[in-house]
Amino acid sequence: MMMLQADSLHIKRANRAALNGINFHVNSGEIYALLGGNGAGKSTTLLSFLGFLKPSQGQVRVKGIEVKSNIAAARKVMTYLPESASLYDHMNAYENLKYFLQLAKRHVTESDIQHALNRVSLNQDSWKIKLRDYSKGMRQKVAIALSILRDTDILLLDEPTSGLDPAAIDEFHALIRDLANNGKAILMVTHDVYGACQVAERIGLLRDGQLVGEFSSHSDAPIDPQIVHSAFLRNK
Amino acid sequence: MKEIVYIAVGELRYWLRSHLALGGSLVFLMLISITSILTTGHINAENNARVQQQKNAEDTFLTQPDRHPHRMVHYGHYVFRSPPPLATFDPGLDAITGQSIFLEGHRQNTAMFAESGASADLGGLSWLSPALVYQIFAPLIIILLGHGAIAREREAALLTPILSLGVSGYSLVLGKALALLIFIIIIMIPLMVTCTIAVFKGADPIAAGLLFCVYLLYLIVWGIMTLCVSSILHKRSTVLAVLSSCWFIFNLALPSLAVNFVTYTTPLSGKIETDLTLLADLHKVGDGHNINDPAFGQLREQLLKKYNAQSLADLPVNFRGIVAIEGERKLTNVLNSYAARRMAGETQQSQQLANYGWLTPTLAITFISRSIAGTDLANYHRFQKEAEALRFSFVQKLNHAHAEQLSYSDDIQRNKDEASGLKARINASNWKSLGSYHFKKSILSDRVKSAFYSFNILLTWFFEMCIMLFLCARGINS
Repeated sequence: MMMLQADSLHIKRANRAALNGINFHVNSGEIYALLGGNGAGKSTTLLSFLGFLKPSQGQVRVKGIEVKSNIAAARKVMTYLPESASLYDHMNAYENLKYFLQLAKRHVTESDIQHALNRVSLNQDSWKIKLRDYSKGMRQKVAIALSILRDTDILLLDEPTSGLDPAAIDEFHALIRDLANNGKAILMVTHDVYGACQVAERIGLLRDGQLVGEFSSHSDAPIDPQIVHSAFLRNK
Repeated sequence: MKEIVYIAVGELRYWLRSHLALGGSLVFLMLISITSILTTGHINAENNARVQQQKNAEDTFLTQPDRHPHRMVHYGHYVFRSPPPLATFDPGLDAITGQSIFLEGHRQNTAMFAESGASADLGGLSWLSPALVYQIFAPLIIILLGHGAIAREREAALLTPILSLGVSGYSLVLGKALALLIFIIIIMIPLMVTCTIAVFKGADPIAAGLLFCVYLLYLIVWGIMTLCVSSILHKRSTVLAVLSSCWFIFNLALPSLAVNFVTYTTPLSGKIETDLTLLADLHKVGDGHNINDPAFGQLREQLLKKYNAQSLADLPVNFRGIVAIEGERKLTNVLNSYAARRMAGETQQSQQLANYGWLTPTLAITFISRSIAGTDLANYHRFQKEAEALRFSFVQKLNHAHAEQLSYSDDIQRNKDEASGLKARINASNWKSLGSYHFKKSILSDRVKSAFYSFNILLTWFFEMCIMLFLCARGINS
């Protein structure tokens, strides 16, 4: 099922074209990575799906809903994880999850929260520690736990592995692969070519607001990072 | 609605865990508590002292022996202005206007200040009252706590994730506003306590309630202003700088400038200048001590004709007393016209100053607070008018006694020898005509009426801020 769809999407930011007629879609159970350099339009794409940026032409659809016409309904089915895993430093993991879930009007039990924290392998000793003392990897785990608990059909991830060590990246990839296997549609923007090839079914290459290439994995072979890397450099 | 409460709880939790917010709030609560205790004690002591002084003055006057009535006119009497019960919260003009007036014949004395109880009072620094703490310092603590309400979320890149949960900008702003409102109510507890004590001391409960409501409104205006700036600007440091500047301009610079401007544009005549023209006008009405003053020639002729008398000694009344009555009446008319002109000028200045409330809510709350507490200029004028009415009444009663109970011949012989002097006296029971005086608090409807204009200004501030907040909430994006 088509969960996210950008159709001839044009976005203007500060009087210049940030996205210039891009077309792509993400299906349920699929991880789609948008690759591109700085200023290519990756985050702009995510923000347009969230309804923070309005298309000047074209449209974005979330589960068939045109975002512009019903932002609230679109946001309800998506979980957004920003690059910095933005959470409250003065709260512990447990409090953060509870607070965000309250705001999202999602009722969960304490055991649900414990289960989610266990699922992301966050050490139980750190559950009651304030997030100001967390590493970036630990914060990212809490953010993933939030998306598990929100249980939305779509995940939007903005540079999720930036600043993580290789072990944490592997752990993170395993987590989102698990979520995708459970039917979630995941749109991830990144400039980590190898990470994207490792985890995504499809990769879209963005350059100056245009989708200049798309790569797909096959059942027997993942996407070749060398090909993507060459294309990335060629288009830079 | 629930998400608004969750956001408010989240904000309160942040403040409870912030050393700056906790420390600032504790310092404020200590400041307001200490100020409330000291001011309540000070005003109550002042009140007791003035009531006692009033009683002493009346006892002293009433226990005077038989005397010539005009000696008692010059012996004079004191009246004291007791502070109203709510002066424990807002002493207003109490400290800078005189608390007692010496009443005597032929003069309207200005109000005098009580002896300074401590040399600290002589430093030129104003007494820090609970009202002043709420007017000046409470906005500062609101800024300290609230400046980061939205800007902090934006700075920590939390705004987009929160809004992406389906939370609207309105809910976010209303949640933060609810947290600030709860904080404002907490810091208003000392005000509630001070006003409750004042109610037990005789203050109108409605006045105390109104005082609470208007200060709540004033602090809400500051709270909303803080949220507006916090939601517009991106950096907490910039928000704090802008709000601190607003605090300085609204609370310190503009009120002082407004006073200077009003004094410059609506000047009042100086005392020396007024006294000189007053003296010239008083000369025209004649000297009540001098029965041969041409100003009373017509009166003399009328009386002689009325009683068909050949000389003043033949009159059934003491002409010296009649001249004193007439002289005092004419003189008081002149004095009253000068006093009315001065009061009108002061009222005009005060009204012009109140207009500056459109520029700063601090001036609006100052005027409302003093009016409701009964410590404003109108209240001081009422004291002066009551004192003058009392002065005129007792002087004229003594003059009537002079005219009716002391014969003209005894009167003009009074300095001849000791026996004549004793003969020219009236019975001390006449001194009872003075009556007792107690400066009562003004009626509530008058105080509310007096506060009405500035209240409208404050209400306009509130609505303007609400509209601004609505626009800011609408504009909240990532």
